[in-house]
Amino acid sequence: MSIKLTTQAYCKMLLHAAKYPHCAVNGLLVAEKQKEKKKDSHSTPILCVDCIPLFHGTLALAPMLEVALTLIDTWCKENKYVIAGYYQANERTKDFRPNQVAEKVGARIAENFSEAAMIMVDSTRFTMGCYEPILAIYDHHENKWKCRDCNADCFEDWCEAQKITSALLEGRSYESLIDFDNHLDDLRNDWTNPEINKSVLHLC
Amino acid sequence: MASVSEMYDVTWEEMRDKLRKWREDNHRNSEQIVDVGEELINEHASKLGDDIWIIYEQVMIAALDCSRDDLAWTCLQELKKQFPGSQRVKRLAGMRLEALEKYEDASKQYDSILQDDPTNTAARKRKISILKAQGKSAEAIRELNEYLEQFVGDQEAWHELSELYINEHDYGKAAFCLEELMMTNPHNHLYCEQYAEVKYTQGGLENLELSRKYFAQALKLNNGNMRALFGLYMSASHIAASPKVNATVKKANVKYAAWATNQINRAYQVSHARYLL
Repeated sequence: MSIKLTTQAYCKMLLHAAKYPHCAVNGLLVAEKQKEKKKDSHSTPILCVDCIPLFHGTLALAPMLEVALTLIDTWCKENKYVIAGYYQANERTKDFRPNQVAEKVGARIAENFSEAAMIMVDSTRFTMGCYEPILAIYDHHENKWKCRDCNADCFEDWCEAQKITSALLEGRSYESLIDFDNHLDDLRNDWTNPEINKSVLHLC
Repeated sequence: MASVSEMYDVTWEEMRDKLRKWREDNHRNSEQIVDVGEELINEHASKLGDDIWIIYEQVMIAALDCSRDDLAWTCLQELKKQFPGSQRVKRLAGMRLEALEKYEDASKQYDSILQDDPTNTAARKRKISILKAQGKSAEAIRELNEYLEQFVGDQEAWHELSELYINEHDYGKAAFCLEELMMTNPHNHLYCEQYAEVKYTQGGLENLELSRKYFAQALKLNNGNMRALFGLYMSASHIAASPKVNATVKKANVKYAAWATNQINRAYQVSHARYLL
Protein backbone atom coordinates (compact mmCIF):
# COMPACT_ATOMS: atom_id res chain seq x y z
CA MET A 1 0.00 0.00 0.00
CA SER A 2 3.01 2.28 -0.12
CA ILE A 3 4.57 4.35 -2.88
CA LYS A 4 8.21 4.95 -3.67
CA LEU A 5 9.59 7.82 -5.69
CA THR A 6 12.28 7.83 -8.34
CA THR A 7 14.83 10.60 -8.46
CA GLN A 8 13.16 12.11 -11.53
CA ALA A 9 9.78 12.31 -9.80
CA TYR A 10 11.17 13.87 -6.61
CA CYS A 11 13.40 16.26 -8.52
CA LYS A 12 10.71 17.74 -10.69
CA MET A 13 8.38 18.17 -7.71
CA LEU A 14 10.96 20.22 -5.85
CA LEU A 15 11.99 22.16 -8.93
CA HIS A 16 8.35 23.13 -9.43
CA ALA A 17 8.07 24.41 -5.85
CA ALA A 18 11.41 26.24 -6.24
CA LYS A 19 10.33 27.95 -9.45
CA TYR A 20 7.32 29.53 -7.76
CA PRO A 21 8.32 30.13 -4.15
CA HIS A 22 5.58 32.72 -3.70
CA CYS A 23 2.76 30.52 -5.03
CA ALA A 24 0.96 27.34 -4.21
CA VAL A 25 1.91 24.63 -6.73
CA ASN A 26 0.47 21.21 -7.50
CA GLY A 27 0.97 18.31 -9.83
CA LEU A 28 0.52 14.62 -10.51
CA LEU A 29 2.67 11.56 -10.02
CA VAL A 30 2.59 8.67 -12.47
CA ALA A 31 3.56 5.05 -12.09
CA GLU A 32 4.06 2.27 -14.61
CA LYS A 33 0.91 0.29 -15.22
CA GLN A 34 1.18 -3.15 -13.59
CA LYS A 35 0.66 -5.96 -16.11
CA GLU A 36 -1.44 -8.21 -13.95
CA LYS A 37 -2.85 -7.93 -10.46
CA LYS A 38 -0.54 -9.99 -8.28
CA LYS A 39 -2.07 -11.71 -5.29
CA ASP A 40 0.38 -10.03 -2.96
CA SER A 41 0.32 -6.71 -4.81
CA HIS A 42 -0.15 -4.82 -1.59
CA SER A 43 3.31 -5.76 -0.40
CA THR A 44 5.19 -4.46 -3.44
CA PRO A 45 5.41 -0.70 -3.30
CA ILE A 46 4.20 1.32 -6.26
CA LEU A 47 7.08 3.13 -7.96
CA CYS A 48 6.22 6.67 -9.08
CA VAL A 49 8.52 7.13 -12.03
CA ASP A 50 7.61 10.62 -13.11
CA CYS A 51 5.95 13.82 -12.03
CA ILE A 52 3.79 16.19 -14.08
CA PRO A 53 3.76 19.72 -12.65
CA LEU A 54 0.30 21.22 -13.10
CA PHE A 55 -0.44 24.68 -11.79
CA HIS A 56 0.92 27.54 -9.76
CA GLY A 57 -1.05 30.27 -8.01
CA THR A 58 -4.78 29.66 -7.76
CA LEU A 59 -5.36 25.92 -7.46
CA ALA A 60 -9.04 25.93 -6.55
CA LEU A 61 -10.63 26.32 -9.99
CA ALA A 62 -12.03 23.32 -11.84
CA PRO A 63 -11.95 23.70 -15.62
CA MET A 64 -8.19 23.69 -16.34
CA LEU A 65 -7.66 20.93 -13.79
CA GLU A 66 -10.18 18.80 -15.67
CA VAL A 67 -8.46 19.58 -18.97
CA ALA A 68 -5.09 18.62 -17.49
CA LEU A 69 -6.40 15.37 -16.01
CA THR A 70 -7.97 14.44 -19.37
CA LEU A 71 -4.88 15.20 -21.46
CA ILE A 72 -2.50 13.59 -18.97
CA ASP A 73 -4.72 10.52 -18.72
CA THR A 74 -4.51 10.13 -22.51
CA TRP A 75 -0.73 10.55 -22.38
CA CYS A 76 -0.55 7.96 -19.61
CA LYS A 77 -2.48 5.41 -21.68
CA GLU A 78 -0.12 5.99 -24.62
CA ASN A 79 2.89 5.42 -22.35
CA LYS A 80 1.49 2.58 -20.20
CA TYR A 81 1.45 4.80 -17.12
CA VAL A 82 -1.25 5.33 -14.58
CA ILE A 83 -1.90 8.45 -12.47
CA ALA A 84 -0.82 7.28 -9.03
CA GLY A 85 -0.57 10.37 -6.89
CA TYR A 86 -0.98 14.10 -6.36
CA TYR A 87 1.38 16.61 -4.78
CA GLN A 88 0.83 20.11 -3.50
CA ALA A 89 2.91 22.82 -1.87
CA ASN A 90 0.85 25.54 -0.20
CA GLU A 91 1.35 29.27 -0.67
CA ARG A 92 2.34 29.87 2.94
CA THR A 93 5.60 28.17 3.90
CA LYS A 94 4.39 27.17 7.34
CA ASP A 95 1.18 25.62 6.03
CA PHE A 96 1.75 22.05 4.93
CA ARG A 97 -1.55 20.46 5.78
CA PRO A 98 -3.68 19.10 2.92
CA ASN A 99 -6.59 21.38 2.14
CA GLN A 100 -9.88 20.85 0.34
CA VAL A 101 -8.27 21.00 -3.12
CA ALA A 102 -5.70 18.35 -2.21
CA GLU A 103 -8.33 16.07 -0.72
CA LYS A 104 -10.68 16.45 -3.67
CA VAL A 105 -8.07 15.76 -6.34
CA GLY A 106 -6.58 12.98 -4.24
CA ALA A 107 -9.97 11.34 -3.88
CA ARG A 108 -10.60 11.64 -7.62
CA ILE A 109 -7.30 9.90 -8.36
CA ALA A 110 -8.04 7.24 -5.75
CA GLU A 111 -11.26 6.39 -7.63
CA ASN A 112 -9.17 5.15 -10.53
CA PHE A 113 -6.18 3.91 -8.56
CA SER A 114 -6.86 2.49 -5.13
CA GLU A 115 -3.30 2.89 -3.84
CA ALA A 116 -3.16 6.58 -4.75
CA ALA A 117 -1.02 8.79 -2.54
CA MET A 118 -1.34 12.46 -1.69
CA ILE A 119 1.91 14.26 -1.04
CA MET A 120 2.33 17.59 0.71
CA VAL A 121 5.64 19.43 0.41
CA ASP A 122 7.00 20.88 3.63
CA SER A 123 8.58 24.13 2.49
CA THR A 124 9.95 25.00 5.92
CA ARG A 125 12.59 22.29 5.46
CA PHE A 126 13.30 23.08 1.84
CA THR A 127 17.03 23.75 1.42
CA MET A 128 19.44 23.85 -1.51
CA GLY A 129 21.29 20.92 0.01
CA CYS A 130 18.16 18.72 0.19
CA TYR A 131 19.61 16.92 3.19
CA GLU A 132 16.34 15.34 4.19
CA PRO A 133 13.17 14.37 2.34
CA ILE A 134 10.67 17.17 2.80
CA LEU A 135 7.48 15.34 1.95
CA ALA A 136 4.52 14.17 3.96
CA ILE A 137 2.85 11.21 2.27
CA TYR A 138 -0.83 10.50 2.83
CA ASP A 139 -2.53 7.19 2.04
CA HIS A 140 -6.25 6.83 1.45
CA HIS A 141 -7.85 4.62 4.12
CA GLU A 142 -11.62 4.34 4.48
CA ASN A 143 -12.30 7.76 2.96
CA LYS A 144 -9.72 9.47 5.15
CA TRP A 145 -6.17 10.52 4.42
CA LYS A 146 -3.62 9.18 6.88
CA CYS A 147 -0.14 10.60 7.10
CA ARG A 148 2.82 8.28 6.81
CA ASP A 149 6.35 9.12 7.81
CA CYS A 150 8.59 9.95 4.86
CA ASN A 151 12.18 8.82 5.08
CA ALA A 152 14.82 7.38 2.77
CA ASP A 153 12.74 4.20 2.36
CA CYS A 154 10.18 6.16 0.34
CA PHE A 155 12.71 6.60 -2.44
CA GLU A 156 14.10 4.23 -5.03
CA ASP A 157 17.55 5.66 -4.20
CA TRP A 158 17.54 8.49 -1.66
CA CYS A 159 21.25 9.29 -1.99
CA GLU A 160 20.90 9.71 -5.73
CA ALA A 161 17.72 11.76 -5.32
CA GLN A 162 19.39 14.04 -2.76
CA LYS A 163 22.50 14.59 -4.86
CA ILE A 164 20.76 15.21 -8.15
CA THR A 165 17.97 17.40 -6.80
CA SER A 166 20.52 19.54 -4.98
CA ALA A 167 22.67 19.84 -8.10
CA LEU A 168 19.72 20.91 -10.25
CA LEU A 169 18.58 23.46 -7.66
CA GLU A 170 22.08 24.97 -7.51
CA GLY A 171 22.14 25.09 -11.29
CA ARG A 172 18.74 26.87 -11.30
CA SER A 173 17.19 24.22 -13.55
CA TYR A 174 13.83 25.23 -12.14
CA GLU A 175 13.91 28.28 -14.41
CA SER A 176 13.27 25.97 -17.36
CA LEU A 177 10.75 23.68 -15.67
CA ILE A 178 7.42 23.66 -17.53
CA ASP A 179 4.11 23.14 -15.77
CA PHE A 180 0.66 22.80 -17.30
CA ASP A 181 -0.01 26.50 -16.72
CA ASN A 182 3.07 27.33 -18.81
CA HIS A 183 1.77 24.95 -21.48
CA LEU A 184 -1.58 26.75 -21.58
CA ASP A 185 0.27 30.06 -21.96
CA ASP A 186 2.19 28.66 -24.95
CA LEU A 187 1.41 25.22 -26.38
CA ARG A 188 5.03 24.75 -27.41
CA ASN A 189 5.96 24.44 -23.73
CA ASP A 190 6.26 20.71 -23.06
CA TRP A 191 4.93 19.61 -19.66
CA THR A 192 6.80 16.31 -19.91
CA ASN A 193 10.01 18.33 -19.40
CA PRO A 194 12.28 16.25 -21.66
CA GLU A 195 15.27 18.54 -21.11
CA ILE A 196 15.11 18.22 -17.35
CA ASN A 197 14.64 14.45 -17.67
CA LYS A 198 17.83 14.40 -19.73
CA SER A 199 19.68 16.42 -17.08
CA VAL A 200 18.57 13.99 -14.38
CA LEU A 201 19.69 11.00 -16.47
CA HIS A 202 22.95 12.72 -17.24
CA LEU A 203 23.72 13.18 -13.56
CA CYS A 204 22.78 9.63 -12.58
CA MET B 1 31.44 33.67 -10.67
CA ALA B 2 31.02 35.41 -14.00
CA SER B 3 29.12 38.67 -14.04
CA VAL B 4 25.75 39.00 -15.74
CA SER B 5 27.23 41.25 -18.41
CA GLU B 6 29.90 38.66 -19.15
CA MET B 7 27.57 35.67 -19.17
CA TYR B 8 24.94 37.21 -21.39
CA ASP B 9 27.16 39.66 -23.26
CA VAL B 10 25.01 42.68 -22.43
CA THR B 11 25.84 46.30 -21.81
CA TRP B 12 24.86 48.20 -18.70
CA GLU B 13 22.27 50.11 -20.74
CA GLU B 14 20.64 46.85 -21.78
CA MET B 15 20.61 45.71 -18.17
CA ARG B 16 19.01 48.97 -17.10
CA ASP B 17 16.38 48.66 -19.85
CA LYS B 18 15.63 45.07 -18.87
CA LEU B 19 15.04 46.19 -15.30
CA ARG B 20 12.67 48.86 -16.54
CA LYS B 21 10.72 46.34 -18.61
CA TRP B 22 10.39 44.01 -15.62
CA ARG B 23 9.24 46.99 -13.53
CA GLU B 24 6.60 47.97 -16.07
CA ASP B 25 5.35 44.40 -16.47
CA ASN B 26 5.38 43.92 -12.70
CA HIS B 27 7.34 40.71 -13.12
CA ARG B 28 8.20 38.82 -9.97
CA ASN B 29 11.40 37.27 -11.36
CA SER B 30 13.24 38.27 -8.21
CA GLU B 31 16.38 36.15 -8.67
CA GLN B 32 17.04 37.70 -12.07
CA ILE B 33 16.31 41.20 -10.79
CA VAL B 34 18.79 40.68 -7.96
CA ASP B 35 21.46 39.35 -10.35
CA VAL B 36 21.09 42.16 -12.86
CA GLY B 37 20.28 44.93 -10.36
CA GLU B 38 23.09 44.15 -7.94
CA GLU B 39 25.67 44.28 -10.69
CA LEU B 40 24.20 47.48 -12.08
CA ILE B 41 24.30 49.13 -8.66
CA ASN B 42 27.80 47.93 -7.80
CA GLU B 43 29.48 48.60 -11.14
CA HIS B 44 27.50 51.33 -12.87
CA ALA B 45 25.77 53.43 -10.20
CA SER B 46 27.30 56.68 -11.41
CA LYS B 47 25.97 56.21 -14.96
CA LEU B 48 22.36 55.59 -13.92
CA GLY B 49 21.48 59.15 -12.96
CA ASP B 50 18.15 59.55 -11.24
CA ASP B 51 17.08 56.10 -12.40
CA ILE B 52 19.14 54.69 -9.58
CA TRP B 53 16.54 55.46 -6.92
CA ILE B 54 13.75 53.49 -8.54
CA ILE B 55 16.26 50.72 -9.23
CA TYR B 56 17.22 50.65 -5.55
CA GLU B 57 13.54 50.23 -4.72
CA GLN B 58 13.02 47.48 -7.29
CA VAL B 59 16.17 45.60 -6.29
CA MET B 60 15.34 45.94 -2.60
CA ILE B 61 11.96 44.29 -3.00
CA ALA B 62 13.50 41.52 -5.13
CA ALA B 63 16.23 41.06 -2.53
CA LEU B 64 13.59 40.56 0.16
CA ASP B 65 12.04 37.87 -2.02
CA CYS B 66 15.41 36.10 -2.20
CA SER B 67 16.26 36.45 1.51
CA ARG B 68 19.13 38.75 0.58
CA ASP B 69 18.74 40.99 3.61
CA ASP B 70 22.27 42.31 3.12
CA LEU B 71 21.39 43.71 -0.28
CA ALA B 72 17.94 44.89 0.86
CA TRP B 73 19.52 46.76 3.79
CA THR B 74 22.06 48.49 1.51
CA CYS B 75 19.34 49.66 -0.87
CA LEU B 76 17.17 50.84 2.01
CA GLN B 77 20.01 52.88 3.53
CA GLU B 78 20.69 54.62 0.21
CA LEU B 79 16.99 55.46 -0.16
CA LYS B 80 16.73 56.68 3.44
CA LYS B 81 19.70 58.98 2.90
CA GLN B 82 18.29 60.41 -0.31
CA PHE B 83 14.65 60.68 0.79
CA PRO B 84 14.59 61.27 4.55
CA GLY B 85 11.09 61.11 6.05
CA SER B 86 9.56 59.71 2.88
CA GLN B 87 6.38 57.60 3.29
CA ARG B 88 7.37 55.51 0.33
CA VAL B 89 10.70 54.60 1.93
CA LYS B 90 8.95 53.96 5.25
CA ARG B 91 6.76 51.42 3.47
CA LEU B 92 9.89 49.69 2.13
CA ALA B 93 11.28 49.54 5.66
CA GLY B 94 7.98 47.94 6.68
CA MET B 95 8.27 45.38 3.91
CA ARG B 96 11.73 44.44 5.14
CA LEU B 97 10.27 43.82 8.60
CA GLU B 98 7.58 41.66 6.99
CA ALA B 99 10.25 39.64 5.19
CA LEU B 100 11.94 39.08 8.55
CA GLU B 101 8.53 37.97 9.87
CA LYS B 102 8.54 40.83 12.41
CA TYR B 103 4.87 41.42 11.71
CA GLU B 104 4.11 43.51 14.79
CA ASP B 105 6.95 45.91 14.06
CA ALA B 106 5.91 46.06 10.41
CA SER B 107 2.33 46.82 11.41
CA LYS B 108 3.49 49.63 13.69
CA GLN B 109 5.51 51.05 10.81
CA TYR B 110 2.45 51.11 8.58
CA ASP B 111 0.30 52.54 11.37
CA SER B 112 2.74 55.44 11.72
CA ILE B 113 2.44 56.12 7.98
CA LEU B 114 -1.35 56.06 8.27
CA GLN B 115 -1.27 58.46 11.22
CA ASP B 116 0.44 61.05 9.06
CA ASP B 117 -1.58 60.18 5.98
CA PRO B 118 -4.81 58.21 6.53
CA THR B 119 -5.38 57.89 2.79
CA ASN B 120 -2.10 56.07 2.18
CA THR B 121 -3.35 53.06 0.25
CA ALA B 122 0.04 51.32 0.09
CA ALA B 123 0.30 51.11 3.87
CA ARG B 124 -3.25 49.79 4.21
CA LYS B 125 -2.62 47.12 1.61
CA ARG B 126 0.59 46.04 3.33
CA LYS B 127 -1.35 45.57 6.55
CA ILE B 128 -3.74 43.29 4.69
CA SER B 129 -0.76 41.39 3.25
CA ILE B 130 0.44 40.76 6.80
CA LEU B 131 -2.91 39.18 7.64
CA LYS B 132 -2.60 37.03 4.53
CA ALA B 133 0.95 35.99 5.45
CA GLN B 134 -0.25 34.98 8.91
CA GLY B 135 -2.98 32.82 7.42
CA LYS B 136 -5.74 35.05 8.78
CA SER B 137 -7.82 34.81 5.61
CA ALA B 138 -11.14 35.82 7.14
CA GLU B 139 -9.65 38.99 8.61
CA ALA B 140 -7.78 39.78 5.41
CA ILE B 141 -11.04 39.45 3.47
CA ARG B 142 -12.86 41.67 5.93
CA GLU B 143 -10.18 44.38 5.85
CA LEU B 144 -9.95 44.24 2.08
CA ASN B 145 -13.72 44.66 1.77
CA GLU B 146 -13.57 47.72 4.03
CA TYR B 147 -10.70 49.10 1.99
CA LEU B 148 -12.64 48.63 -1.25
CA GLU B 149 -15.64 50.50 0.14
CA GLN B 150 -13.38 53.53 0.28
CA PHE B 151 -11.18 52.86 -2.72
CA VAL B 152 -13.70 51.37 -5.14
CA GLY B 153 -11.47 51.82 -8.18
CA ASP B 154 -8.46 49.86 -6.95
CA GLN B 155 -8.29 47.00 -9.45
CA GLU B 156 -5.34 45.29 -7.84
CA ALA B 157 -7.39 45.10 -4.66
CA TRP B 158 -10.47 43.70 -6.39
CA HIS B 159 -8.30 41.03 -8.01
CA GLU B 160 -6.61 40.16 -4.72
CA LEU B 161 -10.03 39.86 -3.10
CA SER B 162 -11.27 37.54 -5.86
CA GLU B 163 -8.26 35.29 -5.24
CA LEU B 164 -8.83 35.27 -1.49
CA TYR B 165 -12.46 34.25 -2.06
CA ILE B 166 -11.46 31.53 -4.53
CA ASN B 167 -9.04 30.08 -1.98
CA GLU B 168 -11.89 30.00 0.54
CA HIS B 169 -14.07 28.31 -2.08
CA ASP B 170 -16.54 31.22 -1.90
CA TYR B 171 -17.03 31.29 -5.65
CA GLY B 172 -20.12 33.50 -5.59
CA LYS B 173 -18.22 36.37 -3.97
CA ALA B 174 -15.19 35.76 -6.18
CA ALA B 175 -17.50 36.11 -9.20
CA PHE B 176 -18.78 39.43 -7.85
CA CYS B 177 -15.22 40.81 -7.65
CA LEU B 178 -14.49 39.67 -11.20
CA GLU B 179 -17.74 41.28 -12.37
CA GLU B 180 -16.47 44.58 -10.97
CA LEU B 181 -13.23 44.11 -12.89
CA MET B 182 -15.01 43.18 -16.12
CA MET B 183 -17.24 46.26 -15.85
CA THR B 184 -14.28 48.60 -15.62
CA ASN B 185 -12.13 46.61 -18.07
CA PRO B 186 -14.54 45.29 -20.71
CA HIS B 187 -11.71 44.49 -23.15
CA ASN B 188 -9.62 42.47 -20.73
CA HIS B 189 -9.86 38.85 -21.89
CA LEU B 190 -8.17 37.53 -18.75
CA TYR B 191 -10.89 38.78 -16.40
CA CYS B 192 -13.56 37.29 -18.71
CA GLU B 193 -11.79 33.96 -18.75
CA GLN B 194 -11.24 33.90 -14.98
CA TYR B 195 -14.89 34.77 -14.41
CA ALA B 196 -15.87 31.87 -16.68
CA GLU B 197 -13.62 29.53 -14.66
CA VAL B 198 -15.25 30.62 -11.41
CA LYS B 199 -18.75 30.13 -12.81
CA TYR B 200 -17.77 26.68 -14.12
CA THR B 201 -16.40 25.73 -10.73
CA GLN B 202 -19.60 26.89 -9.04
CA GLY B 203 -21.42 24.29 -11.12
CA GLY B 204 -25.02 23.78 -12.07
CA LEU B 205 -26.53 24.17 -15.52
CA GLU B 206 -27.10 27.95 -15.33
CA ASN B 207 -23.52 28.62 -14.24
CA LEU B 208 -22.17 26.28 -16.92
CA GLU B 209 -24.07 28.17 -19.59
CA LEU B 210 -22.81 31.48 -18.23
CA SER B 211 -19.28 30.10 -18.14
CA ARG B 212 -19.55 28.99 -21.77
CA LYS B 213 -20.70 32.49 -22.76
CA TYR B 214 -17.81 34.14 -20.95
CA PHE B 215 -15.24 31.70 -22.32
CA ALA B 216 -16.61 32.61 -25.76
CA GLN B 217 -16.38 36.30 -24.94
CA ALA B 218 -12.77 35.92 -23.79
CA LEU B 219 -11.98 34.16 -27.07
CA LYS B 220 -13.59 36.99 -29.02
CA LEU B 221 -11.37 39.45 -27.18
CA ASN B 222 -8.28 37.29 -27.70
CA ASN B 223 -8.49 34.28 -29.98
CA GLY B 224 -5.13 33.04 -28.71
CA ASN B 225 -6.41 32.44 -25.18
CA MET B 226 -6.07 28.65 -24.89
CA ARG B 227 -7.72 28.52 -21.48
CA ALA B 228 -10.81 30.15 -22.98
CA LEU B 229 -10.78 27.68 -25.87
CA PHE B 230 -10.42 24.66 -23.61
CA GLY B 231 -13.02 26.13 -21.25
CA LEU B 232 -15.47 26.56 -24.12
CA TYR B 233 -14.98 22.91 -25.05
CA MET B 234 -15.43 21.69 -21.46
CA SER B 235 -18.48 23.78 -20.66
CA ALA B 236 -20.24 23.03 -23.97
CA SER B 237 -19.51 19.31 -23.56
CA HIS B 238 -20.91 19.24 -20.04
CA ILE B 239 -24.05 21.13 -21.10
CA ALA B 240 -24.60 18.78 -24.05
CA ALA B 241 -24.24 15.78 -21.74
CA SER B 242 -26.67 17.15 -19.15
CA PRO B 243 -30.02 15.32 -18.87
CA LYS B 244 -31.72 18.64 -18.09
CA VAL B 245 -31.31 20.25 -21.52
CA ASN B 246 -33.70 19.97 -24.43
CA ALA B 247 -32.69 18.64 -27.84
CA THR B 248 -32.11 22.09 -29.36
CA VAL B 249 -29.75 23.23 -26.62
CA LYS B 250 -27.99 19.86 -26.73
CA LYS B 251 -27.49 20.11 -30.48
CA ALA B 252 -26.14 23.66 -30.22
CA ASN B 253 -23.64 22.74 -27.53
CA VAL B 254 -22.48 19.66 -29.38
CA LYS B 255 -21.73 22.01 -32.28
CA TYR B 256 -19.83 24.46 -30.02
CA ALA B 257 -17.81 21.61 -28.52
CA ALA B 258 -16.99 20.25 -31.98
CA TRP B 259 -15.90 23.67 -33.15
CA ALA B 260 -13.71 24.09 -30.09
CA THR B 261 -12.13 20.64 -30.62
CA ASN B 262 -11.30 21.65 -34.16
CA GLN B 263 -9.70 24.90 -33.05
CA ILE B 264 -7.74 23.13 -30.31
CA ASN B 265 -6.37 20.55 -32.75
CA ARG B 266 -5.44 23.35 -35.16
CA ALA B 267 -3.66 25.22 -32.37
CA TYR B 268 -1.63 22.12 -31.46
CA GLN B 269 -0.74 21.46 -35.08
CA VAL B 270 0.46 25.01 -35.44
CA SER B 271 2.63 24.62 -32.35
CA HIS B 272 3.99 21.27 -33.59
CA ALA B 273 2.93 19.48 -30.45
CA ARG B 274 1.89 15.86 -30.74
CA TYR B 275 -1.10 15.62 -28.41
CA LEU B 276 -4.57 15.62 -29.94
CA LEU B 277 -7.92 15.41 -28.23
